[in-house]
Amino acid sequence: MTIYSFWIFDKHCNCIFNREWTLSSNTNSGIINAKQNEETSKLLYGVIFSLRSVTRQLSSDSKQSDIKSISTGKYRIHIYCTATGLWFILLSDFKQQYYTQVLQHIYGHIYVKYITHNLLIPSDLAENENEKRGQGVKRITNKNFIKSLETFLAPMIS
Amino acid sequence: MDATRSSRSNSNTHGSTRYHNQSQPTGPVTDQQRVKQQFQLFQDALPKVNSLSFRALINEIVPLAMSMEKIKDNSDTNELVEQEADTNESVKKDSDSKDSIEQEVDEVSKQLDTRLTLNTGKGEASDKLIRELCDSEEDVHERVMNRVRSMGLQIGCNLTELLVFSNNPNLHFRDMDILLIMKFICRDVWKQLFEKQIDNLKTNHRGTFYLLDYNYIPIQEFAIDEDESLDASANEERLLALVAPFLEIPAGIIKGVLVSFGYQSEEISCSASFIDRPTGDKTVGVFPKGVSFHVQVTASNP
Repeated sequence: MTIYSFWIFDKHCNCIFNREWTLSSNTNSGIINAKQNEETSKLLYGVIFSLRSVTRQLSSDSKQSDIKSISTGKYRIHIYCTATGLWFILLSDFKQQYYTQVLQHIYGHIYVKYITHNLLIPSDLAENENEKRGQGVKRITNKNFIKSLETFLAPMIS
Repeated sequence: MDATRSSRSNSNTHGSTRYHNQSQPTGPVTDQQRVKQQFQLFQDALPKVNSLSFRALINEIVPLAMSMEKIKDNSDTNELVEQEADTNESVKKDSDSKDSIEQEVDEVSKQLDTRLTLNTGKGEASDKLIRELCDSEEDVHERVMNRVRSMGLQIGCNLTELLVFSNNPNLHFRDMDILLIMKFICRDVWKQLFEKQIDNLKTNHRGTFYLLDYNYIPIQEFAIDEDESLDASANEERLLALVAPFLEIPAGIIKGVLVSFGYQSEEISCSASFIDRPTGDKTVGVFPKGVSFHVQVTASNP
């Protein structure tokens, strides 16, 4: 059971957080909010966006069904979307089928606690019109958020 | 008013078990127990709100005060506009041709438009307002602080009414002295507002009180994005300067409770400051400082 990387996208199609682990033996390895991941994040967003719209059109039920995971030959993408347009995305191997509860916990107990309840940082990272069209480069740099996310995800890396 | 009220319901489980025993002939119920039962029933019947939204509203007082200050600045210019409009109208009323009436209507609607755009104030984000407040000039800062304090005062006054007149059996107000009132603040007021009691109460028995809260709940999650160019202590200083206005709310509440017990507001001074925690622990995601409220009462019993 290993997770490879973790991503958050906001409603303006911006990647607002990314974390990639490179060594499964060392939980501190890898990169946080790296610039080199910008292209990857756009690709990831595009894949999920298009597959989401496909699943919506294919669903026979009148209730809108949402995509939960995408599997390839090498890895699995887990997706959790909130009604406010936030996407929480986790890349992992095949050992575990669902990470829905993990992603829900990250949203409910880490993101809401340290980002939403913190009045001192902006609630929406895109401040002007230019950044609201997917061109924003702002990232979540809150120390409390990053630390508690790391401690929560550390047992799943190795 | 608060959602969980956990510790109080714990203390009342005793009372509710007695309530079930009442149907069996185990003996008559004492007056105090009956009062407790009634209090429990009353508490259950009280309307409840979500504690998170309540806390968010309490915190939102500070940005609200700041934006009121800004709107007030705007309204000064609005008054000028209104005066101009008045003079225009009085001039227009002299000439009563149809054209002038139409012009007048146009004029007034234009005035209305400008006033609306000024007053809606483009709804600025809370974090911006807080930063603006921190960087604002001395007198603006002081005015906003006074506004926050007076809002806290109002909350405190009304809160006592709610807590005292709800027939709380734990409270006796026959010979209430200042120490008992401070205990009331530490226990009941704090539990009602923040679901915990104040950690420590110190006094010299001559009107000086220190109320120490090492985990003041509403500011626990507050943190800033740290500036890499500054060192750790400068960053913490900035954080404390940004958070300091939020301490004026509870300071105002304490003062309001004392005022509602008959003390004059001039006789009380209440200030809040940051203190170190006694254990000095640096747990992740916890505000690095505790809060100390210094209350000074100059008058004897009212």
